[in-house]
Amino acid sequence: MTISLAGVRATLWRSALFAGLWWALTNGRADSWGVGGVSILAAAILSLRLLPPVPTTISRIGLLRFLGFFFIQSLRGGAQVAWFALRPRMGLRPGIQEIPLRLPEGIGRVLLTNTQSLLPGTLSVELRGNRLCLHVLDIEAPTEAGVRHAETRVAHMLGLQLEQP
Amino acid sequence: MTMTEIASFILLLTGAVFFFAGTVGLLRFPDVYTRLHALAKADNLGLGFIVLGLLLQTSSPATALKLILIWLLALAASATVGFLIARRARQNGIVPWQSGDRP
Repeated sequence: MTISLAGVRATLWRSALFAGLWWALTNGRADSWGVGGVSILAAAILSLRLLPPVPTTISRIGLLRFLGFFFIQSLRGGAQVAWFALRPRMGLRPGIQEIPLRLPEGIGRVLLTNTQSLLPGTLSVELRGNRLCLHVLDIEAPTEAGVRHAETRVAHMLGLQLEQP
Repeated sequence: MTMTEIASFILLLTGAVFFFAGTVGLLRFPDVYTRLHALAKADNLGLGFIVLGLLLQTSSPATALKLILIWLLALAASATVGFLIARRARQNGIVPWQSGDRP
């Protein structure tokens, strides 16, 4: 393993993150840092193994806009499904839709797949290559427009280029 | 009651309403896919409101961070597990319910 600047940066950031987690879990007890130090080191090594540092730049404005989008849409999603569940005639018109993604392969697609299950009316069923298979609560709803919007947000946050589907 | 307590109470109650709706959806919805919608979305929102309500009641930053962590972990877990269950169901040939089928 060659030591790169990105690797050192990732190691420091991740160790700081795990130290913060340890602090929260132990309520900041001073006598726990012996075990804590070992755990933090082990967690940092494991995380570098499982997710090697990649030179991605997370745009801060992009992150904020994604979070805003995510919170508003998950509020809508939860409210919609609660409304379906509670009203006397549920009026579900479910179906399966397949949508070719514009995001490049990798973390962006995975994040989108996971996000999509919490957004209004869609549940990710399968991701094969660039094709995302969704179960939708209302087959008439503009599902593709929603996915396109989410894709744009994810791409902006992670600094990814959208491809032609 | 102080304003904070009232706000906390309202948030907790809202959270409970979403958990209730998610559970009703789990019981009423016709197939595995639609039930996963109810669980993933309504419970995520319910937990979010309950965490917000509890955040107003704690003065310890470590406890606050722990509450937020619980929500984030539950969020990631419900999205991932929902995806895995739905994918398995589809691989096993479970056909999604369509309007017009018997519930």
